Amino acid sequence: MSDQLKTEKITTDLLRSIRLNKSFLIWMGFLGLAFLICFGAYGLQLKNGMVVTGLGDYVSWGMYISNFVFFVATSLIGMLISAALGLSGQKWAAPLARIAEIIALAFAAVAGLVIVMDMGRPERLLNVIIHGRIQSPIVWDMTVVTVYVLISTLFLYIPLIPDLKICYDRLDKLPPFARNIYKLLSLNWTGSPAQKKLIKQSTRVIAIFIIPVALAIHTVTSWLFANTSRVGWDSTIFGPYFVTGAFVAGSAAVIIAMYFYRKNYGLKDYITDYHFDKMGQLLVLVSLIYLYFTLNEYMVPAYKMKTSEALHLSALFTGIHAGLFWSVQLFGLVLPIILLLFKKMRKPLPMLFIALAVLIGAWFKRYIIVVPTQEHPYLPIQNVPLSFKIYTPTLVETLITIAPFILVLIIITVLSKVIPIISVHETIEQLEENNQKD
Amino acid sequence: MLKRIIDLRVALTLAVTILYCANDFAANNWNVPVDKKTKNSYIKFDAASASQGEAIYNKNCASCHGNPGKGNSLKSLSPVPPDLSSAKTQELTDGELFYILSTGRMIMPSFKNVLSEDERWRVISFIRSSNKSYVQTLSKFDPNKSKLVKINLNFDPATHNIRILAIANEKSGVVALKDAEVALFAIRYFGRLQIGKSTKTDKDGMANFKFSKDLPGDKAGIVELVAKVNDENYGEIESVTKMKVGIPTDKPALNKDRAIWNVLAKAPIWIIVLYSFGVLVFVLVLLYLLNNLRKLKKTGDN
Ligand code: HEC
Repeated sequence: MSDQLKTEKITTDLLRSIRLNKSFLIWMGFLGLAFLICFGAYGLQLKNGMVVTGLGDYVSWGMYISNFVFFVATSLIGMLISAALGLSGQKWAAPLARIAEIIALAFAAVAGLVIVMDMGRPERLLNVIIHGRIQSPIVWDMTVVTVYVLISTLFLYIPLIPDLKICYDRLDKLPPFARNIYKLLSLNWTGSPAQKKLIKQSTRVIAIFIIPVALAIHTVTSWLFANTSRVGWDSTIFGPYFVTGAFVAGSAAVIIAMYFYRKNYGLKDYITDYHFDKMGQLLVLVSLIYLYFTLNEYMVPAYKMKTSEALHLSALFTGIHAGLFWSVQLFGLVLPIILLLFKKMRKPLPMLFIALAVLIGAWFKRYIIVVPTQEHPYLPIQNVPLSFKIYTPTLVETLITIAPFILVLIIITVLSKVIPIISVHETIEQLEENNQKD
Repeated sequence: MLKRIIDLRVALTLAVTILYCANDFAANNWNVPVDKKTKNSYIKFDAASASQGEAIYNKNCASCHGNPGKGNSLKSLSPVPPDLSSAKTQELTDGELFYILSTGRMIMPSFKNVLSEDERWRVISFIRSSNKSYVQTLSKFDPNKSKLVKINLNFDPATHNIRILAIANEKSGVVALKDAEVALFAIRYFGRLQIGKSTKTDKDGMANFKFSKDLPGDKAGIVELVAKVNDENYGEIESVTKMKVGIPTDKPALNKDRAIWNVLAKAPIWIIVLYSFGVLVFVLVLLYLLNNLRKLKKTGDN
């Protein structure tokens, strides 16, 4: 095959997914309907207040805040794959960069909404801006989430500019208004050396800048907990602990996305077994680091068993949360690590299931961090009904918790319908580079 | 063998029954001394006193006892606080109610130092208000008599004692309040701190309290003291006196300097610097990127 033909094939392959088809419409219809139901549940919460949830005076952070931590965590993967691996010259990760970026942007943008869902009076969010004190981690959190969403948008957009031009040129069957949007967004791209240099420089600056921002966003999230003196949260390693945990969740999310993109968009030649193998190795690596932090986080206080912590720890190890606690460690961390050590397991289908287990485990892991601590305040809970002491989420609350997931799926689905999810011009450049080497 | 088991059962049943009865006994019998039992209110139980009592009740009692007749007392306590409109409680005399309310028992708190005698009677007026068959016996005591009483506090720096003198200025001359109950309190941020134990006045109407040497006062060492005297004939009298008996304390207010917990205007400098620096770097990066995009578009134009 000549180079010309190869380039042609790459372009058609990667642009093929940009069109309306039946399965897309059915999938979106399903998502839209599910979202409407969940949104109805949110309407109930707006109307009746937080009584529709299982939250109360003692456990005031429940599934919503666990959800928030999970969403912020998953969004960190954009930084790891596109920035950290990219800058360190890991070429294999290049075709996955845009997928990671899409996931990052979707999860980060929705994370902000999740916090608002936890407020009985969402309009009071303005109070953080009007009356916020910069001593408060909540203000840092709002700042850094906003910054991360903006930077992630640019990180997705700037390297996309040449592809937008390709879309405009090639997708001549699209209605004119859609083509005009591509044209507008491609900012007069001609591919001149000056323009290429600008893109290259900008991408590099973002790739460097997004690393501290991403670290900050999840470290600040961990400080929402660690900056209190509460048992189970009062920890100095919460920052790095959350960040490594985030890489675990994010890698799993990328693997799941890779599987479905490869299958549904016919990208077997671009997302290959080699990429799955590499992602499997990455997941093992970050999981091992996370396991190490987890060991530290529980082993050190458990060795000392301070009176105030003993109640909390025994609730986790042998008490009412033990089932969840050990399942999360076993199925969400230990077993996936062991399985992924075998090359046979680092194939698309087995990895899909392993990644699903890891992702579900990651969600419940956040729940284990957020909820049990509040059931053991320093001042003992006395003379209250059992339902005050033990948090039980309600159905309405569960529906509202599911809503952000649907929203993320909608964003990811729509984004991957309008832009090529693997960079066309980079794949072509890569091809040219390889040819020059030969 | 079988016999032994049966014996054991009998013994067990007996033990349980005895325990149960003992428990029951404790729950019902307040052992109110006879003279207290017949004590009566000098406040007339009418709509006005009941409604004042209701406000006091809602603030101090409703959290445990619930609302009378509603059966919403706090069931998680043991013993469960009784509904005070129940027949069992209404059978108690006014004097018994007053005694229970004043002394308390285990979970039921003592309100002696929390509510004044006046307030306690008004609560009882409220408790009685739902009882149609209740007829009040008014005490002959004249509350105006308490106005005749003068309470004097004297501090002796050598012994660090406070001496309380309670006298009444009767028409016939000055009468010392003998055998009256006296309690001394220092006013603190969140309530009254009792100094020593309650005692009784001697035949000259005097009582002595040892005052500790380390109680913090205001800048000048002044402490606000409350002396509370309760006399058979004159009723309950309180007097508030400011005295220089504490240690002068002049701590800066916790919100005076820049601190994490202070308002925005008094945030620590290092936080302001770090936060502003972060935001500034972001704005610069953002401007740089937007400018690059602008240049990109411009080069494409030519
Ligand atoms: C901390 C909870 C609590 C509060 C507050 C409280 N009580 Fe009680 N009260 C109890 C309990 C418990 C009992 C039963 C005590 C027992 O039987 O040993 C009780 C018993 C009583 C009784 C005796 C009733 C009977 O039939 O034996 C009276 C009268 C009473 N309370 C009045 C009051 C009043 C008036 C107030 C407010 C000024 C008040 N209580 C505030 C817990 C409380």
